[in-house]
Amino acid sequence: MKPTETRLDKHLITEEPYYLSSGREIEIAISAHKNCLPLLLKGPTGCGKTRFMYYLAWKLQRPLITVSCHDDLSTSDLVGRFLIRSGEAVWTDGPLTLAVRAGAICYLDEIVEARKDTTVVIHPLADDRRELPVEKLGELLLAPPEFMISVSYNPGYQSVLKDLKPSTRQRFVAISFDYPSPQQEAEIVCKEAGVDKHLAASLVKLAGMTRSLKDSGLAEGASTRLLIQTGRLVLDGIDIHTACRAAIIDPLSDDPELLAALQEMVSSIF
Amino acid sequence: MKLPLLTERFYKLVSPDIPNEWDVEEVLEPFIDKSDTFCKEIFTHIPVIWPVSHSLCYDFLRLLPKTLDHLSLEQIPHWIGIILDHYETHGLRAAQRFMQDDLTRYLSQLHGGGGLGFTSIEKRLLPYIRGVAGTELQLRKNRVSYTDSTTIFVPEELEFSSRRDINFLLYKFILTFQWGFITQGSFITTAPPDYSHTQCNNDVLWLRAFLDEFKEPQLARDIYHCLESIRVLVFLNQELPGLMRAAKQHIFPQLSASLNNHPLRPLQQVLLTENSEQDSVLKKILSKSSTQRYLNGQASTDDSLKLTADLFFTLQKSGTDYCPISPFPFQGALRLQAVENARKIQNQKLEENFVDLMAAYLHNHSLQEASNHTNENRQNGYKGGLKDTDISVILDSELTQAANQEQPSPIVICLDNAQMKMPPELQECAQNCFNEFGHFPTQFISSAAGKAGHAILENEVQETQTKESAAQKDTILYDEWDYRRQGYRKNWCTLHFKNLPPIHSPFVQNTLNKYRGLTIRLRRQFEMMRSNERFMKRQRDGDDIDLDALIESIADSHAGISSSDRLFIRLQRNERDIAVLFLVDQSNSTSGWVNNAIKESLLLMSEAMEVLGDRYGIYGFSGMRRSRCELFHIKHLDEPYDDKVKERITSIVPCEYTRMGPPIRHAISLLKDVDAKARLIITLSDGKPEDYDDYKGKYAIEDTRHALLEAKTADIHPFCITIDHQAKDYMQHMYGPANYIFIDNVRKLPLRMSEIYRILTS
Repeated sequence: MKPTETRLDKHLITEEPYYLSSGREIEIAISAHKNCLPLLLKGPTGCGKTRFMYYLAWKLQRPLITVSCHDDLSTSDLVGRFLIRSGEAVWTDGPLTLAVRAGAICYLDEIVEARKDTTVVIHPLADDRRELPVEKLGELLLAPPEFMISVSYNPGYQSVLKDLKPSTRQRFVAISFDYPSPQQEAEIVCKEAGVDKHLAASLVKLAGMTRSLKDSGLAEGASTRLLIQTGRLVLDGIDIHTACRAAIIDPLSDDPELLAALQEMVSSIF
Repeated sequence: MKLPLLTERFYKLVSPDIPNEWDVEEVLEPFIDKSDTFCKEIFTHIPVIWPVSHSLCYDFLRLLPKTLDHLSLEQIPHWIGIILDHYETHGLRAAQRFMQDDLTRYLSQLHGGGGLGFTSIEKRLLPYIRGVAGTELQLRKNRVSYTDSTTIFVPEELEFSSRRDINFLLYKFILTFQWGFITQGSFITTAPPDYSHTQCNNDVLWLRAFLDEFKEPQLARDIYHCLESIRVLVFLNQELPGLMRAAKQHIFPQLSASLNNHPLRPLQQVLLTENSEQDSVLKKILSKSSTQRYLNGQASTDDSLKLTADLFFTLQKSGTDYCPISPFPFQGALRLQAVENARKIQNQKLEENFVDLMAAYLHNHSLQEASNHTNENRQNGYKGGLKDTDISVILDSELTQAANQEQPSPIVICLDNAQMKMPPELQECAQNCFNEFGHFPTQFISSAAGKAGHAILENEVQETQTKESAAQKDTILYDEWDYRRQGYRKNWCTLHFKNLPPIHSPFVQNTLNKYRGLTIRLRRQFEMMRSNERFMKRQRDGDDIDLDALIESIADSHAGISSSDRLFIRLQRNERDIAVLFLVDQSNSTSGWVNNAIKESLLLMSEAMEVLGDRYGIYGFSGMRRSRCELFHIKHLDEPYDDKVKERITSIVPCEYTRMGPPIRHAISLLKDVDAKARLIITLSDGKPEDYDDYKGKYAIEDTRHALLEAKTADIHPFCITIDHQAKDYMQHMYGPANYIFIDNVRKLPLRMSEIYRILTS
């Protein structure tokens, strides 16, 4: 077995991840894959973008290579670099090159966090050329039809300084994610956290209230992920008020007045 | 102590004021037999109150002996704080009343009991209710609680229980209950399908018209209010069980005693009964099926309307004169007139919004049309601009039907005989109008068409003038720190935003010529500070191999020396991400050379900043007294540096005094939301903060210091460039060490300022 194959094995998703579809996003993504089109997922934190990618990778039976972008991410971090091993310079593929070679799905999470000059490297891969020039090797890799590039970002919370360049934007098929409908969200919380339906519905109600505080100074309302985490704490025997405080209220804000208001919501619901 | 000695001390404390001797002697007489230490302690409070109000200070001294029977000397400063709060919010009378009459209540509050003021908890409850409601509800204080569907009114103070937490709970419950009325649609605006016989015009709330038709409208209102209260209660039981549990435990038991023998008592009693008993109580008044519907949460406003009519006729048979029922505190009052007024305002806004959007749309449409026909117009001698008669809008007759359909079809307008689809924003707004009025008011379209026509004819100059005058009206209130009270004076200063008139003069060109060499040097220096990229050699990891290091390492390993693992080159990017606000002192003392130097420095600084690319804003400040602090706009943070800005710099003139607190606090509020790695406020001043009133000396320094501390708390770095010769004493106290610089020669300012900025940010 080649080293590349061993590395890729870890990225193959063997068990079906839980994903509740709320529209035609699966259909669109599969069609995009079939037509060799790149995918752009946008939506608030914790609404299921990453889970969707896991589900898609499982559905397509392709390895999923995820890169969490940050502002120190360089082109070499994506494409690869020479490393010194026992006095010799050895080339090591970066996650993007690895994905192109293996026809995997490369998922760049929170792409706006990366600097604009870094994101430009995906341009030739994201249009009909579907090629990745590896300058240091003097190689031009052509992506196989199974390869897919997918990026995600949160349009609500990043600053205007961190917006996607139009030239990057206009290469993708975009799927917009939002929090699921209350019924669906309760179903997700129920299934993921293992709590009863009533508690799940109450947690979703609380999340709804926090989300409407966006204009009152709360950067973002409680995500589905936070609700699941709260559910898990409750299931472990922690009382609901403490669990909400620890897993919903405190992570959301540091502002004492907003915290107090959120606490009042919890005490009203539970 | 002897009276002359007391009087002498008093005069010293209030100097330079010279109050009437007999007034002073009268209030100081009771202190003659007190000890020296006691008098000293009491007299420390005089400088706190005297500058705020002289008569308040006399009253304070007059009432102090009596108060000291109840309060200890240590409690006096807190009591004074409350008195001054009363004075600042409600005036002298209120403060006097508080001192004379409210001592008992103050004492009970001091010991943890007593009422709870809404102001102290508003910041907590406002986001709560907005979160629960999901809309931007407003909260206001009022004697009686009620809602007009956009604002919830609550009492200024609650003394329901001796416990603060229970009073808080009642406030929360009142708010939630009032929201219940809104969300349950209790205030019916338009006639429901079965009630089309009760007609009213658009301005009148349908529910009011319906209830007013009864022979005894108050009885009908009370019945409807009670029935809707039950509906809201059942709804809250389902939605917010935690709140209801707390209310049943702490609020309801105290309320049950207050019920009287009113014909509607059984209906009101249901609100306080346990869930299990509600059924039997309600069945006494309503039919079995209605009871079921109400308690299962299936009842709607239709049920309440029908039952109001039924119950009205049953109760009216008793024939006695009706005496209105007093609702529970959480139920509040049913003020349909207020709902109607709020609705009118909302509708007006809706109309304005629609007219604005529509006018903008029509305006664009006309411009396009105009450009299409330019040639034709030119031939006819037409000189551009359209009259409102040029735009013809025909409202599609299908529009009115669309509103009644469950899934309304896209709204289409006919414009100049062509069908146009409205943009989504306008569509939504039009849909809201349909929902609100039940039909589409045609006058909206005609006013939009009129506005669009006028908009084209409007002169650009006029528009700018209106904007400027509107901006000039803008004011904002800021708190001020009073070190003597160790507390804020709420909304104490009014900051007015003003525009400097741009002045065309050769000043800019002269300055640039005069400092030509310096400008070039500064530009070069600043260019070097721009986000630079450089290769870092000998790194543990990086983008490329550092050949030198690699060869050295191989040589080392051949020679048997342990080789280094730092073999890479990394590209290091140092991005500048700085936002800075310059606050320029425009006080009278800067006249002459200082003013000129400040203007020159600002020009050179701006020239250099343009090379650097840092975001910067410039504001001047001056003013007189707390009611007229002025902030002059020279350059906003993201405004480009153009001729207008240069002209405004030229027009900086010395004005009045230096009240530094408000402009600093405003700069904080401007910078707080700016996303930058480093945020700076640089003050350019020529002396101590000072104003015409009592804003001077220690008071002014402490307020400025506090404003600067607020800046540091908001992660904004304050820095001061000063040309005051005695600056050293107080600058360190105000800004902290190393946060200020003292320039001895004004003429050096233009050169030094840019240097300072360079050092400060690199």
